[in-house]
Amino acid sequence: MTGRLLALLLAAACATALSSQPAESLGGRLTFAISGGPDTLDPQRTSATLAFQVMKSLYDTLVEPDDRGVLVSDLAASWTMAPDGKQWTFKLKPGVRFHNGRPLDAQDVVATFTRIVDPALGSPKRNDFAAIDRVEPVDATTVRFALKQPFAPFLAALGQGWGAILPKEAIASGTDFGKTPIGTGPFKIEEWSRDSFLRLGRFDAYFVRGEPALEGVTFRFVSEGPVKTAGLLTGEFDVVDNVDPLDVPRLEKDARVSIRPRQNATVNVVAINNGRKPFTDVRVRRALWHAIDRKAVLKTAYGAGSTPVAVFMDVQSPYYVDLGDPYPYSPAKAKELLAEAGLGSGFTADLVLPQPYASHIKAGELVQAMLAQVGVQAKIRVVEFGFWLSRIFTGAHDYDLTIIGHTGKLDPDGRLAGFGNPATNYVNYTSSRVVALVDAGRFTLRADLRRRTYTEVLRLMTEDAMMVFLGDPEDRLATRKGVQNVKEMYAIDTYDLRTAAK
Amino acid sequence: MRAARALAIIPTVVVTATIVFVLIRIIPGDPAALMLGLEAPPAQLQALRHALGEDRPVWVQYAAWLGGLARGQLGESIRYHAPVAALIAERLPVTLSLALAAMAVTVAVALPLGLLAAVRAWSLFDLGVLAATQAGLAVPNFWIGILLLLFFSVTLGWLPLQGYAPLAAGAGAWAAHLVLPAVTLGAARAAQLMRFVRGAVLEELAHDYVRTARGKGLAERAVLLGHVLRNALIPVLTIAGLQFGYLLGGAIVVEQVFGLPGLGRLVLQGIYARDLPVVQGAVVVLALLVSALNTIVDLLYSVVDPRVSAG
Repeated sequence: MTGRLLALLLAAACATALSSQPAESLGGRLTFAISGGPDTLDPQRTSATLAFQVMKSLYDTLVEPDDRGVLVSDLAASWTMAPDGKQWTFKLKPGVRFHNGRPLDAQDVVATFTRIVDPALGSPKRNDFAAIDRVEPVDATTVRFALKQPFAPFLAALGQGWGAILPKEAIASGTDFGKTPIGTGPFKIEEWSRDSFLRLGRFDAYFVRGEPALEGVTFRFVSEGPVKTAGLLTGEFDVVDNVDPLDVPRLEKDARVSIRPRQNATVNVVAINNGRKPFTDVRVRRALWHAIDRKAVLKTAYGAGSTPVAVFMDVQSPYYVDLGDPYPYSPAKAKELLAEAGLGSGFTADLVLPQPYASHIKAGELVQAMLAQVGVQAKIRVVEFGFWLSRIFTGAHDYDLTIIGHTGKLDPDGRLAGFGNPATNYVNYTSSRVVALVDAGRFTLRADLRRRTYTEVLRLMTEDAMMVFLGDPEDRLATRKGVQNVKEMYAIDTYDLRTAAK
Repeated sequence: MRAARALAIIPTVVVTATIVFVLIRIIPGDPAALMLGLEAPPAQLQALRHALGEDRPVWVQYAAWLGGLARGQLGESIRYHAPVAALIAERLPVTLSLALAAMAVTVAVALPLGLLAAVRAWSLFDLGVLAATQAGLAVPNFWIGILLLLFFSVTLGWLPLQGYAPLAAGAGAWAAHLVLPAVTLGAARAAQLMRFVRGAVLEELAHDYVRTARGKGLAERAVLLGHVLRNALIPVLTIAGLQFGYLLGGAIVVEQVFGLPGLGRLVLQGIYARDLPVVQGAVVVLALLVSALNTIVDLLYSVVDPRVSAG
């Protein structure tokens, strides 16, 4: 009897010990220093990268991208598209709760998308959902979207940060989600001090069992690179983003930290104003490709782990096409092309570089030196980003050459739309064939046909030398040793901390 | 007369507000374009401009804004979707704490050192102080800030690296977060003020009353503190008052380096985002503060020197 009791007690002790094992690894709060803070925590009222970086911790979307950019289930357990592409039906997962404790149902999805398309909200992302004609509940956990016309990028729009599902009663009562976010995400808000920190605590009723692993996470908004590096070394920060390439050797040697390079879905480019002489001549644009050592610019300015691409698509995208090196680095060939175009004696060009992007400015200086080798005198003009957006990217497009990064998109339409029609793209690229193909891609529902369409678009853009594509920059997170699973989601600028541990 | 002096703040603020309004419209940039970034179809950009009221004639925008200001309304931030007044209220305690702490540093360093330097004019000590002030004025304060931070927070680990703790979180935490920013911000101002103190004291020392006081057999300490310093304080007070304005301006850089969520950071982010209501509102509040302080300094003259009528 005593023996049995003892055995039972032992077993119980073991069970407690075993069950307390994961509980121990749950402990800990992660302090994550990122370059800047969100403008608002309302996912429908921002388009800022800095805002979406924290959104995935607070909210969920119906679908989400996996590591390769394929859209997979998040709040939606499954979905179907009608053969005509105009009806999409989503079945919600059971057991999902909002931070206020109420279970998710179809009406929440209806209220969420009714809100974002309401002109009164003034959402910068309203256009992404312009195809929606109606959203209606089928039953408590099924919701149907009726579209005005087939729209292939629809699923991708739902997977972006601004597709976050909000609770209907909070929408109805006019809750300011900007300050008091209520979602279904793995963490809920504890305190937000604008431009200083955002402290989140674990949401115990999160619908994925065992997640999140962390007790909480504090995002600290630190704009100065040296401060971030210092904080990582002292242990004040567990994770820091955008590590300066200059700090990499020092951090690599330090046993207390690890550097985690990651491929970014951004494509960095030397944009060419196709509407200005002499760049109206395709030979001149191709000469720029030959004149610029793309690989050297990319690796020097953006980090050794960056990947060159020769098309307007990131290398991880399912739509990426490998065209090899269509215009290899060759100053001699560049001079030859310029001479053919009647510019054998060279010319001057206005090279505009955006502040405060130090790496684009660095790239610009390298490009300037390379162009000088073929007789092109590039005059650098550094402008503030707000100026760049209103004078270069929009407005009069007052530039010859500029360097910028085009961030990743879940759907190729997001990256390619507008190019081909000089009225809707800042490089004044003109190609009726590209316009027709991009339009067709938007309505093409068969995956293989879409892929073929975009392959042709990308091939044409490179053939026309619309811009000089440099490549995907390397992105560097650095963490204290022992920090695990801090993930960046593909193409949507969001950190995924659901399985992160410390 | 005092009421009249207080009323004189109003034109100052209106003129400042108008200059800011004009300046921010002269610098190219558009809040709608900044909100949408690189993915704005032209139609959407136009719609957002309309929603923000940017497509109204400038004079209509000016009248609307000035009208709001007269009613005490600062409008809503474009970037944060929150009332500007609330944003400023959040930030003001941080910047005021910083400016006051920096002022304390400035005075605590400048007064004694300036006085000693004047008393021992052209001694080795004086020359050392002069050299130090030259360095203090020449070195940019963000650089001093980063050096201090690397030494005290990283190497020694004595002070927090970043951020702000409100007074409510405890005076110790509040002070620990403010020490380095206050020293950084106060260093150049202390250097400048020290030169003024030295100059003013030297000038006073040449006066006859000093010789008389010494002749009376007053202790040197009493001569210096009771007579010289008191008279020297009037020009010093003027400079110190003006320096408060510089401190508020300098806070923009220092808050950035030390991650303090103050008014300076709000203005800087506001300029980047072309968040006109925020920039305008914050500048008006800063102008009010500086004007009010200068008025207080004017009134203080009569306290320091009864010969100055407070009338």
